[in-house]
Amino acid sequence: MTRTAFTGLSTVVFHLTLPHASPNENPETLLQNAEKRLVTGERIIARLFTDLDWNLHFHAGLIVLTNLRLLHVELAQFQAWKLEEVQDLTLEEMGATAAIHLMQADSSVWHWRITVGHVREVEAFLAKLKEQRGTVTSETEAAVDEEDVFSVEEPETKTSTGQPLVRLFKFSSKWYKLMLLGFVLTVASTASGLIGPWLTMSLVDEVLIPLQTATSDVLIGRVYHFVLMLAGAAVLTWLLQWATTYVISRVAERVTSHMRRATFEHLQKLSLTYFNKKRTGDLISRIGSDTDNISLFISVNFIDFACDVMTILFTAVILFSLNPMLALAAIGPLPIVAWLVQWVRSHLRGGFAAASRAWSAMNSVLSDTIPGVRVVKAFAQEQREIDRFREQDQQIFDTNDRVNRTWSFFEPTISLLTDIGLLVIWGAGAWSVAYEHTTVGVLTGFVLYVGRFYGKLDSMSRFVASAQRAASSAHRIFDILDVKPDMPITSGMLKVGRLSGAIEFRGIKFRHGSRQIIRGIDLKIAPGEMIGLVGPSGAGKTTLVNLACRFFDVSEGAVLVDGHDLREIDVVDYRRNLGLVLQEPYLFFGTIAENIAYGKPDATRTEIIAAAKAARAHDFILKLTDAYDSMVGERGQQLSGGERQRISIARALLVNPAILILDEATSSVDTETEREIQAALDHLVKGRTTIAIAHRLGTLCKANRLVVVDNGVISEIGTHEDLMNRSGTYARLHQAMVEVNQA
Amino acid sequence: MIDLISILQQPDVRPIRLFPLTDPERWVAILDSKGQEVACIEDPATLDATQRAALDAALAKRHFVPVIRRILMITRAPDGHDWLVETDRGTTTFRIETDESIQSLGSGRIVIIDKLGTRYLVPKITDLDRDSRRKLERYY
Ligand SMILES: Nc1ncnc2c1ncn2[C@@H]1O[C@H](COP(=O)(O)OP(=O)(O)O)[C@@H](O)[C@H]1O
Ligand SMILES: [Mg+2]
Repeated sequence: MTRTAFTGLSTVVFHLTLPHASPNENPETLLQNAEKRLVTGERIIARLFTDLDWNLHFHAGLIVLTNLRLLHVELAQFQAWKLEEVQDLTLEEMGATAAIHLMQADSSVWHWRITVGHVREVEAFLAKLKEQRGTVTSETEAAVDEEDVFSVEEPETKTSTGQPLVRLFKFSSKWYKLMLLGFVLTVASTASGLIGPWLTMSLVDEVLIPLQTATSDVLIGRVYHFVLMLAGAAVLTWLLQWATTYVISRVAERVTSHMRRATFEHLQKLSLTYFNKKRTGDLISRIGSDTDNISLFISVNFIDFACDVMTILFTAVILFSLNPMLALAAIGPLPIVAWLVQWVRSHLRGGFAAASRAWSAMNSVLSDTIPGVRVVKAFAQEQREIDRFREQDQQIFDTNDRVNRTWSFFEPTISLLTDIGLLVIWGAGAWSVAYEHTTVGVLTGFVLYVGRFYGKLDSMSRFVASAQRAASSAHRIFDILDVKPDMPITSGMLKVGRLSGAIEFRGIKFRHGSRQIIRGIDLKIAPGEMIGLVGPSGAGKTTLVNLACRFFDVSEGAVLVDGHDLREIDVVDYRRNLGLVLQEPYLFFGTIAENIAYGKPDATRTEIIAAAKAARAHDFILKLTDAYDSMVGERGQQLSGGERQRISIARALLVNPAILILDEATSSVDTETEREIQAALDHLVKGRTTIAIAHRLGTLCKANRLVVVDNGVISEIGTHEDLMNRSGTYARLHQAMVEVNQA
Repeated sequence: MIDLISILQQPDVRPIRLFPLTDPERWVAILDSKGQEVACIEDPATLDATQRAALDAALAKRHFVPVIRRILMITRAPDGHDWLVETDRGTTTFRIETDESIQSLGSGRIVIIDKLGTRYLVPKITDLDRDSRRKLERYY
């Protein structure tokens, strides 16, 4: 916790968002009400907004903890208790809501209700109360003058969200030299593209008209002179455009590749909690197709746009310098175009975002169905998957249709405006030639330039669409990049090196979202000890080992290894000490040797073979055509569950972990294989701290102690005999198992 | 030291390469008739000449991974592609079915598994001639 510089008045605020609070119930008003009630010398220490009344209607309330009292503030109500009178505040979870009871003489004298999403804030508030009462009873008030200020944050918060396109350009700033070059080339190629009409103008006025009116001394040779210059201009434009496209595409490729890598790197840093919430297909589509949209935008659309703007500016200048009156007439329809662009923009914005989401949804269906194809077939649900896919596809189709509807109106309208602009020029130009001595050449040039001018407006309008699409894609990328890892990989700095393997769970509690999963567990595991973790499914065993692996952080209490709080230790350093074997072994696409060496890529072949032998995997590996070089994983050679399991045990063994965690490592295999794996595990367990979760209790016969977890707490600890004699949960589980085996 | 020669003379004993694709020269296991490993030789080069010869002879009987020298032609077939290649064991054709049949083993080494399960090895893509590389590029 960080100490704030200012002392005394700082308070802790636990914010609730009050979705249904009416304006006159806003938190500020309540807070002001509370402040009015303070007596002299009373300071606010913490406050907690409540969002329900006793009948569970939305209603804003406020609980304030001061150095003297506990206050309850509502718009029309006020209640106060001296801290000495308050025996305790207790939190009771009741499904989607929770109650906070004010206890006096062991009975609840008052209570508040809140929606369950806010229990974290409540817990923090209760902690503050406890702390404050501690200081009151010991009567060292001066010590609390300085308060720690912290806010209860949502675990994975979003940071700044600026304009996605602006951020996109900040993202590309690394290549500013290339971009600058691209920009200069763009200007040059645009300018050279405008030479043509200029030459045409002179050609008409200085050669063609005199030739026709036959005012003698014009040489026909000058025509070729002009044609040659025109050709030169064309070649120059071609060269410059080539260079521009080349340079800009290079930039675009670099930016998008940087973006893909950054996104993936960032993903790797995020915690399991994030992945639990996300759909694989959605993430794939963000990294794949959204970055592609952006690349297209930078390399093609943006450069076009820059050219267009340039051309429009240049032509406008040229037009005005030729004939201001005509120029004004020519760009008359411009405001209408500007308005149209704005209108289309607002229509497209939603459309493209919807299209990207629809793509994600479709990818999700794919990444759901393809790996699950065996289940689909087993339950003969092919048609249902086809329907599901069709439905998603329909959505893409519909959103695109919607975009196209807007679009189909927009483009022809721009063309029409172009034509109108040209008509105006012809009309006004003819008049000007007749009465104002404008030459035919200038008029020709004018028509050419105006044509270009509006042509560019047309392609600029196309830019509107791609910019909108890129913006929504960039938004989806930054969406990932803005998620702060809730458990920064570098959170603790302590390098532990090789651990001896003492683990202590000290009063830990843990909740997934608002649900309390671990309700207070205390357990000390000595180095080298083997603990068998048993209990009904859903009891929280996996969650407990996840906490030991620090996949999540505890909500309360601490996990200590070798006496260090896990949160102080460098995560990567810590996990080098871990060996993890899960119920569902995951093999990556690659050879068996690569899979075994996953945790230690520089392992020698000798080590790999030794690990495989110890895991009883060597024999079956030899039977495969390519032995250790056999491809396994997604599409490779299919292995049986037990074989995969043995490979994952070899993987855990190879890293020679100080702490070994087996989460139902043998639950999904037959007894024969289990015996094999068991033998492998016995080998693996030696000299390491082991936490083994198993349903088949026989698996745990080597365990020093058995720990029975039930509903988030430890209900029994002891050896097999102890627990059988106690005839509690364990004895029941054992009995049930024996019966199943006899049946 | 195990008596390799007498082991290899027993019926149904076979040598197996542990890394037939990534390290075919080393790591040979000798299995008995029941598939149990009786010996494992890390580096056959350390054996004496007679043992080495016996081992090589036994391996040569079983080992068949042609090394591709040149890719002459790849044509589309109804269910995949037909390859016409020149290998260290002569010119041959084979058919592969999917893109997944061509697998990378790292550092430019690839293995191609044909429809019938024969492995063809390209030890280093960069060692192929330009023309072959061009052909390979379209599929891998
Ligand atoms: N990511 C999650 N989000 C919400 N609840 C979860 C999550 N993971 C597990 N749970 C819940 O936590 C409880 C304990 O789960 P777990 O530790 O996996 O049980 P088990 O003892 O069978 O291993 C279960 O009721 C489960 O529904
Ligand atoms: Mg579990």
